[in-house]
Amino acid sequence: MASTTRRASQRVTLLMLVLASVTILTLDYHGEVSRGISRVRRDVLDALAPVQRGIAAGLHPIGDVAAGAFHYGALVTQNARLRSELGAMQAQLAENHFAVSRAESVLALEGIPFVQNIVTTPAQVISSPTSNFADTMEIGRGTSAGVAPHMPVVSGRGLAGVVLDAGSSTAEIRLVTDPQSSIGVTFGTGTRASSAIAVGQGFGQPLVVDQIAGRPPHVGETIYTSGTDGGAYPAGIPVAVVASVRTGAGGLTTTATATPLVDLSALEYVAVLEWLPQP
Amino acid sequence: MTPRAWSRLAVVAVVALVVQVGVLDQVIVLGAHADVMVVLVGAAGAIAGPSRGATIGFVLGLVADLVVPTTYGLSSLTFVLVGFAAGLVRSLPGDRDGRSVQLATCIAAAAVGTFVYALLGALLGQSIALDRQVVVVALVVTLGSVVLGVPSVQALRWALSGADRTEAAHPVPSGGSATR
Repeated sequence: MASTTRRASQRVTLLMLVLASVTILTLDYHGEVSRGISRVRRDVLDALAPVQRGIAAGLHPIGDVAAGAFHYGALVTQNARLRSELGAMQAQLAENHFAVSRAESVLALEGIPFVQNIVTTPAQVISSPTSNFADTMEIGRGTSAGVAPHMPVVSGRGLAGVVLDAGSSTAEIRLVTDPQSSIGVTFGTGTRASSAIAVGQGFGQPLVVDQIAGRPPHVGETIYTSGTDGGAYPAGIPVAVVASVRTGAGGLTTTATATPLVDLSALEYVAVLEWLPQP
Repeated sequence: MTPRAWSRLAVVAVVALVVQVGVLDQVIVLGAHADVMVVLVGAAGAIAGPSRGATIGFVLGLVADLVVPTTYGLSSLTFVLVGFAAGLVRSLPGDRDGRSVQLATCIAAAAVGTFVYALLGALLGQSIALDRQVVVVALVVTLGSVVLGVPSVQALRWALSGADRTEAAHPVPSGGSATR
């Protein structure tokens, strides 16, 4: 009897919690409530940003070398002193490498040719994707630096993604590989120019290029933003290199796969283009 | 559950969120990372039973959804189901309070929770492809839960200590009501 009553109570609890979750899900599709939730999310991410920056810095190899140098310095013997010096020199070397690497990354964002006259805001990547099912990353610049939703994000090699949401000091970027990413692209020049849509397929997966209007692309050909997909991106930003081309049965349809030019798994710095789609 | 247990649970949730965003999200293996929240939900169910497992899952889901770009409430819905299912382990015969049983429940919760999340996300139009990558993500999350299981069980045991920890701790007398 008690067991039956308890089981009934458990089912009621489960039902109520499922209904509560479904209600919240439904509310998130409602404009006003969704905006409120977005605001809370941005505030939470802004609050967590210093922690992310600190941990991102701590995870860098330079930290390990420095820790090693500190450890050796604690010994009092001659051997330990020499090891300490060696550790310090290794730390210095690693720091130099890190500084050079960082300088190269930042310099690569200066004078990007395909950006033309668009003003850019450099930003550090402070977090990898927060969800296993969405290809997003977080950068350490937000609305206070002029970053706004829908602004394109590039590295020195090409298009990385688009600003999805922006808090005061951080912004969330949807990467080109995200399944919700769909980019109007073009390849070839002059009369041989064709247009298509490049759609993300998830982390580490190549983009699928379909709805090709014109001649099909060939393997190794670079695809660029067309600037015509409702004006979501400025034209001429390199996106990916065609990796394979497949013609469907009957030869009526052609699809291609393309590897993003930007190594999204190793991004440290990006540039946000202060460019917004035309309404 | 007592206010003290809820406040301790809030501490666990905040610490878990910081660990998730600050550390676990940065360690990408095969395009996926470990998920401490779903492991905590499994631990909650294994320790506190189905109703409280579901309730704690609901709360942890609301917290987890603050840092992911998917529809708000998707994690809550998933974690309610996972927490309830994990709590049903307590109805099985044998040593239900054993650490190994609770750890196994956490690991199973991580695997099942990932698939449930992907399935619900796909049903709700989150453009989650139910393909090989979901299996890879489930594998990574499950392997991560092996490491995160023990601290998660410890954290939940601490959070719920002093509270009437399980629903079975106060058996309902015959003819009484189970509703508290």
